[in-house]
Amino acid sequence: MDPGQRSILQFAPFQSVVDEGFWHRLSSLKLNRLGIDETPISITGFYAPCSHNMVSNRFTLVADSLPDESSKEAFLPEIKRGNRSRCPVPGILYNTNTLEGFQSLDKQKLMKIEAKKIFDDICSGKVEEDPSVLLRFLLISFVDLKKWTFHYWFAFPALVLDPPATVSNLMPASEWFSKEELESLKDSCKNWRATSSTTDIPFFLVSIPSNSSATIRHLSAFDECLRDGHQLLFGFYDHCHLPKNSGWPLRNFLWFIARRCKLQKIIFFCYREKHGFADMELSLVGEASVSISQDLLKHQDLPNIVGWELNNRGKKAARFISLAETMDPTRLAIAAADLNLKLMRWRQLPSLDLNTLSSTKCLLIGAGTLGCQVARTLMAWGVHNITLVDSGKVSMSNPLRQSLYTLDDCLNGGEYKATAAVKSLTRIYPAVRAEPVIMAVPMPGHPVPSTEESTVLEDCRKLQDLISSHDVVFLLTDTRESRWLPSLLCADANKITITAALGFDSFLVMRHGAGPLSNTYDIETNTLNCASTERDSGRVQRLGCYFCNDVVAPIDSTSNRTLDQQCTVTRPGLAPIASSLAVELVVGILHHPSGIFAGAEFCNSNEQQPLGILPHQIRGSISQFSQMNLVGHASNTCTACSSVVVSQYRNRGLDFVVEAINHPTYLEDITGLTDLINSANSFDLDWADDDQAADIED
Amino acid sequence: MAARGDGTLSSTEFYLAASAFSDQWRKFNASSSQWKWVPCHRRPLTSINQEEGYLSSENVVLPTSIEEVRCEDDVGENDECSCSEDCFIDDAVLIQNGDSMRRQRLYDLHIVYSASYMVPVLFFRGYYSDGQPLLLDDIRKDLSANMTELLTESQWTFITQEEHPLLNRPWFTLHPCGTSDWMKLLRSHDNYLTSWFSLVGQVFGLKLPLEMLK
Repeated sequence: MDPGQRSILQFAPFQSVVDEGFWHRLSSLKLNRLGIDETPISITGFYAPCSHNMVSNRFTLVADSLPDESSKEAFLPEIKRGNRSRCPVPGILYNTNTLEGFQSLDKQKLMKIEAKKIFDDICSGKVEEDPSVLLRFLLISFVDLKKWTFHYWFAFPALVLDPPATVSNLMPASEWFSKEELESLKDSCKNWRATSSTTDIPFFLVSIPSNSSATIRHLSAFDECLRDGHQLLFGFYDHCHLPKNSGWPLRNFLWFIARRCKLQKIIFFCYREKHGFADMELSLVGEASVSISQDLLKHQDLPNIVGWELNNRGKKAARFISLAETMDPTRLAIAAADLNLKLMRWRQLPSLDLNTLSSTKCLLIGAGTLGCQVARTLMAWGVHNITLVDSGKVSMSNPLRQSLYTLDDCLNGGEYKATAAVKSLTRIYPAVRAEPVIMAVPMPGHPVPSTEESTVLEDCRKLQDLISSHDVVFLLTDTRESRWLPSLLCADANKITITAALGFDSFLVMRHGAGPLSNTYDIETNTLNCASTERDSGRVQRLGCYFCNDVVAPIDSTSNRTLDQQCTVTRPGLAPIASSLAVELVVGILHHPSGIFAGAEFCNSNEQQPLGILPHQIRGSISQFSQMNLVGHASNTCTACSSVVVSQYRNRGLDFVVEAINHPTYLEDITGLTDLINSANSFDLDWADDDQAADIED
Repeated sequence: MAARGDGTLSSTEFYLAASAFSDQWRKFNASSSQWKWVPCHRRPLTSINQEEGYLSSENVVLPTSIEEVRCEDDVGENDECSCSEDCFIDDAVLIQNGDSMRRQRLYDLHIVYSASYMVPVLFFRGYYSDGQPLLLDDIRKDLSANMTELLTESQWTFITQEEHPLLNRPWFTLHPCGTSDWMKLLRSHDNYLTSWFSLVGQVFGLKLPLEMLK
């Protein structure tokens, strides 16, 4: 196209970019100072001349665009100074309290208000003093402080010339100016940009006297330059990089020139940079032609106004941004929670399986001293699915030893432990999926009156469901008999089961062996076929459960001196130790290729996993500061996990359970313990006359 | 600058290395985004010590960042509240075509000194050209386009989200706990930061020009 031809001058609109810091500060202002106040706020935008030949510069808002939170005059315009990379532009922000409010703002009216200010500044001479007011802008927004999302829309009001301005001879500056003019202009630009008092003034005159020594002057020097008869160009910082278009600032600039300087032929200079210096190939010069009517010169009415920014899809609609990932405390907590585990895997333990851990569902029976600590340690390992079962309420002595409770949980009769525990876990880590179950575990040796039988049956069923819907079960109660039913149900369902039990100064932590009726179990020989095993024959003896070592059935434990009787009296250091070992044991099982079928490992075991060995039982003593790894194989006469008992349960279901609960010797009879005891009794023991010979200590 | 055997450097050494590094960069790498020293102080109400701060390079376009037309959030559609009364057809506005509607991905890189590890730490964040921040997954896609296989498998590059020590907002960072280890092995140049950046920059596909490495 012949550059001499006239065509309509088309302006490239501003493109906005809002730095995250702006939204942070606005959210903070809203929360701490503004509340529901919707008074418009004076803000400052920034832009700079284009500095790249492929990419336009953008109109920016940063945190500093907003008034300081502590400043007293939050609503008065602040003079923000810029620098060579940010030219300040005054603007106004209308922030609404609701999305509906945002959508129903009268946008035309608001834009006209700002356009009127520009118009008035042009007419009054303010522009010559402070040219940046030609670029006054408007921002409307709605900040959703719950979802951390932001709806916003910029308007850059432009006074429309009617008919539109035309342009001819639009070319790179290097082609328009003579060699001497170019050199002197480059120098002058350099000075203008290097001087702090002028570097942020985006509109200026280029005055070329007859000696070709071009200089940059303030707009206010127009009359003087006119008198001197120099050639005048009207220059401005152009954000746009395009070779055939000028940026948006020229629109209002032309209007100003037409109205104030009364010129119809205007030579403009789009100033663009490269590496901080004027780039005369990228910068443009053109001849604009504006038709001045009496209306334009004299009228006090506003012309037409345009300027709403198009959104990312090119539509005239608001923009939307979500900052939930970087502002929502819950999401930040989730990202941080993983950090330690991921670091561990990266630096020490590449085989760490965080996915398995986070998806494993853990059932904790008991939310007391052991339960609280196990729950916390599980969360530290990245386990997020935790169910706590406990029928009790938090009492005043609990918070000291039970790490999830505080005094508040004890008031007004005390909160249910299960509920209080879940609340506490959620406060620590908001993304935990913790469930409370307020329920008592039915226990043998505590016969059930017929009025309560249906409740007990209900509880049994609930327990069955819980166990079948979880992957790992922790038995963390304070009586022996309360562990019986869960142990049976776990043996039946072949679930990973961990027992932790406390004495006064000793503890036991153990993993139950696989169930007797799991697929690979051979009933005849009471052995397992292990999928992966160190032995060629593939037959490993099944490991025992908590009850395998006992020769008495679980009964009311008031007279029986087993390990966890009356364990409300234990040395405080024990529970955290036992709980920690219980969780570490589970992590080991979950990483072991054989899982629940893994045999007992000792410290000189050949098959050591990256996490270490996987023992069967750990018995520790605080009085000796010692710890032992032991193994106990499954017993044929076990009242909880022997094939006899589990088969009975499978055949007769809850009837069997109820019978065991109500008749203390029933379990001993069917497992053959009764016979065993009788046969022991039949020995003639001179010294055991008055005692029952059956009093065999655990 | 004498090389310290253990791969660390002091805070003053960091400041000097940073000045030299950004000067060299300006000299030999003028066409890329430049580094700027930003003085910053952690203790409020004290005067700014010029030597305390960080190196910043902003609005960086990665060399192989693929510009795609990303699908926008659907929410935009619901929000379409147009100016109904504005029927004025504006002939003077340039309608930007689809090409310029592509959202470019930009990065800010800050090199901050860590007093506890005594090494430089890279903090960075990515965002679309309209300001929407990039998620870690998006950033990984950009980075894996640039990283050599060596680095992807490397035990030395580990990205986490942490609070920027001076700006108090969450930024991403290359975890510094391995830095002194590989700096012990890598130390190839007088300027600590030049050696350091010759590895770290590769994560972003930013290669140092040969002249800088001499």
